[in-house]
Amino acid sequence: MKKSFINFFAFLLIIIANNEGFAQKLITKTGNIKFQASMPSYEEVAAESKSVSAVLDQTTGDFASLALIKGFRFKVALMEEHFNENYMESEKFPKATFKGKIEDFDSSKITSSPKNFTFKGDLTIHGKTKPVSVIVKISKAPNGVNAIGTFEAKPEDFDIEIPSLVRKKIADKIKINYSFLLVK
Amino acid sequence: MKRKKTAILTAVLLIMLSAGVYFYYGIIFKEARNIESEAPDFSLTAKKLLEDYNADPKKADSLYLNKTIEITGKATKETDSVIILENTVFCLFKEELKNKMINNKITIKGKCIGYDELFMEVKIDQCTVK
Repeated sequence: MKKSFINFFAFLLIIIANNEGFAQKLITKTGNIKFQASMPSYEEVAAESKSVSAVLDQTTGDFASLALIKGFRFKVALMEEHFNENYMESEKFPKATFKGKIEDFDSSKITSSPKNFTFKGDLTIHGKTKPVSVIVKISKAPNGVNAIGTFEAKPEDFDIEIPSLVRKKIADKIKINYSFLLVK
Repeated sequence: MKRKKTAILTAVLLIMLSAGVYFYYGIIFKEARNIESEAPDFSLTAKKLLEDYNADPKKADSLYLNKTIEITGKATKETDSVIILENTVFCLFKEELKNKMINNKITIKGKCIGYDELFMEVKIDQCTVK
């Protein structure tokens, strides 16, 4: 009887601790990712998703983000189709994720002017994971923080084959811009 | 005889031209999907959709991914361009929402883009309210 009471108490403590941990998390479900793979004098190859999810733990700097590949919109419908069917194989690999840690993250140091942080983590695209290190600019926003930045990725690093026929129309390095307004 | 030849030649040329135009506009400049005018492949409740995803994400993806679906449920959260149904289905709209629909039972049509493990939600985009 006594033991079960202690167990119950411990359980209660865990719940409270978890709830407190939860309060430290900043989230977004409408993060923005744009990528550019255009070559000069060829048709623009670019897409945007406005439904990227992300979670930042303010106490530890742990960060996780998830983008659904079908959520990327192109201006040209055929390009979107090729992107999904031939390159990203989004039926097989419906999402891209980015999980890791923002180094030396300290929420008390965040001000309204953007400050650079190093984000180290694993980037998974097309079912393939690669460790990456990118610079992220973080500034204070009402009720949370704003995290923006740019990085580059090579399609071949993620086993994405680009047929030689269109090779020169698509940049070797794909430029990815992201913008997350993370709030409580 | 000569007239017949010219007629055949013109016909062939016309067919080639129309095939060219069809290819050019039909394939290269194919219209993007208009989810709003598409008939839904599935019509179900928000709860059922999440249950299917929880039971077997792969199977659910093969059923719903990239399809136009119609979801019914109570709007539990609403922001500028997003409505969340039953805390489980995230619906992204192209334009900002004007009408307040919070706590109402509504039906939303959109394209299923997949399951978000971070928040355990199914996401649909290009939504319209029925």
